[in-house]
Amino acid sequence: MNSQNSLQSMLRQIGQEAEIEKLAAAFFDYEMGEQWGYQAEEWFHAASTIKVAVLLAVFGAIEERRFALHSRLHVRNRFLSAADGRPYRVESARDSNSTVQAAIGKTMTVGELAHHMIATSSNLATNLLLNLVGVEYGRCLLERLHVEGIELWRGVEDERAFDANINNRVNANGLIRLFRLIQEGHAISPEASEKMLEILHRQEFKSGIPSGLPYPVRADARVAHKTGEISTVAHDAGLVFLPGRKPYALAILTQSSPENNRARDAVPKISNVIYEHLTGSMCGSQASGSSNGERGNRNE
Amino acid sequence: MNDTPALPLKLVDGLELPGPYRKALKPGELLSDAQGRGRRLPRFFYQIESWDAALKTALTSHFALWEFINVDLRETEAMRSFPKYVPCAVTLLAVHLEVFREHIGTVVHVAANGGYRSPAHELSKNASTHCWGTAVNIYRIGNDYLDDQEKIERYGGIAAKKLPSLWPRPYGHDAGCADDHLHLDLGYVLLMPRDAGSEG
Repeated sequence: MNSQNSLQSMLRQIGQEAEIEKLAAAFFDYEMGEQWGYQAEEWFHAASTIKVAVLLAVFGAIEERRFALHSRLHVRNRFLSAADGRPYRVESARDSNSTVQAAIGKTMTVGELAHHMIATSSNLATNLLLNLVGVEYGRCLLERLHVEGIELWRGVEDERAFDANINNRVNANGLIRLFRLIQEGHAISPEASEKMLEILHRQEFKSGIPSGLPYPVRADARVAHKTGEISTVAHDAGLVFLPGRKPYALAILTQSSPENNRARDAVPKISNVIYEHLTGSMCGSQASGSSNGERGNRNE
Repeated sequence: MNDTPALPLKLVDGLELPGPYRKALKPGELLSDAQGRGRRLPRFFYQIESWDAALKTALTSHFALWEFINVDLRETEAMRSFPKYVPCAVTLLAVHLEVFREHIGTVVHVAANGGYRSPAHELSKNASTHCWGTAVNIYRIGNDYLDDQEKIERYGGIAAKKLPSLWPRPYGHDAGCADDHLHLDLGYVLLMPRDAGSEG
């Protein structure tokens, strides 16, 4: 308990130093069976972490044989706003993924789109898949699987919905629940969970949780995760697999003013102190907190 | 006159196809258009044995068959696998597009789901001319993506002026309009090749 109080203090300190307005974190450690949360029921704009829920819905629909991973889908940049039903587009300049943008007018497989939605956080791929499965379907699936703490209301880059305060929301406990389902093979089915995990392992943005791991560990660690950044939030959530121990699920959510450039550095710092807490390691000072420019791309 | 090149495709009577195909193609059946007017669907089709055959079958100098049969998972399963079937009037559409292409002098890109769609395709609402093989959705011309009013109306205007039998769907966001492609169609044209069987 003292250790957890100390962890809480460290998080508070990191938050203050980075001038973060709102901070939350939670973990579940399969090695020790320890569960912990700091403001873990606080709601945040989901940004791209919602893409894990969309991934779940895609595999739910596959399980129901609505389509398959190899099914081809028309890449069309036209979506209807959750606010007024009028069309909107994903701005190519904002989408970090040029592969999907280049396929406009053509087709890609559902599996390819799922990969780009997660690994490179393609907003276009996300909206295509969400459009395919349906927002209502995704929301019902989350409810059926008892994933409280994740609210799916719309596609990404829906600015009119944002203005109308219709936003996808998450809290740290919700993300932990979802990643635990995946890790424990209960996300749709063991096979579907395994495939989702495989896709999440292909994450290319590593400036969050992975860069909080100390250098000697980072090379051998595997992190299946999803980042999420817009101008006011920087999140990362996923599963951390370290050699010689069982994995832990971790969710870190931050919210700050758009002008705050230091907020995103808090995520790897928090990842580091949680790593130290769980492993008893003291080499956390070697964590880098480097960035890869994802924020600049303004993927949700 | 015997050296006239023929399409290397088998002509089939849709009414003689196996059940799943008849269910998807609805050969010769009536469909209502948006105004409730009955339109009779094509009965005769070209059979396409493989994707490779579709790639190799040129309908005109610049348009091959594959461009008109590229569909996604919204098409019914029977129509996503081979053999596939396409209404004979697709050849007329290709000729019109070839003339259009000559006028604009650059490549015309047909969107997925933008050529022939069976009446069972999820996007086939009312009597869509896509079900006749006489409609096309163009998403790109040369380097221009047709995703704004200026480009859609400019190219639509050229098509209508040079080829009066082509109808360009107006730009707009509402039903009956298009805002991310140029839709051109010839209407509900039925083409009956000389070798087609009796309609009786």
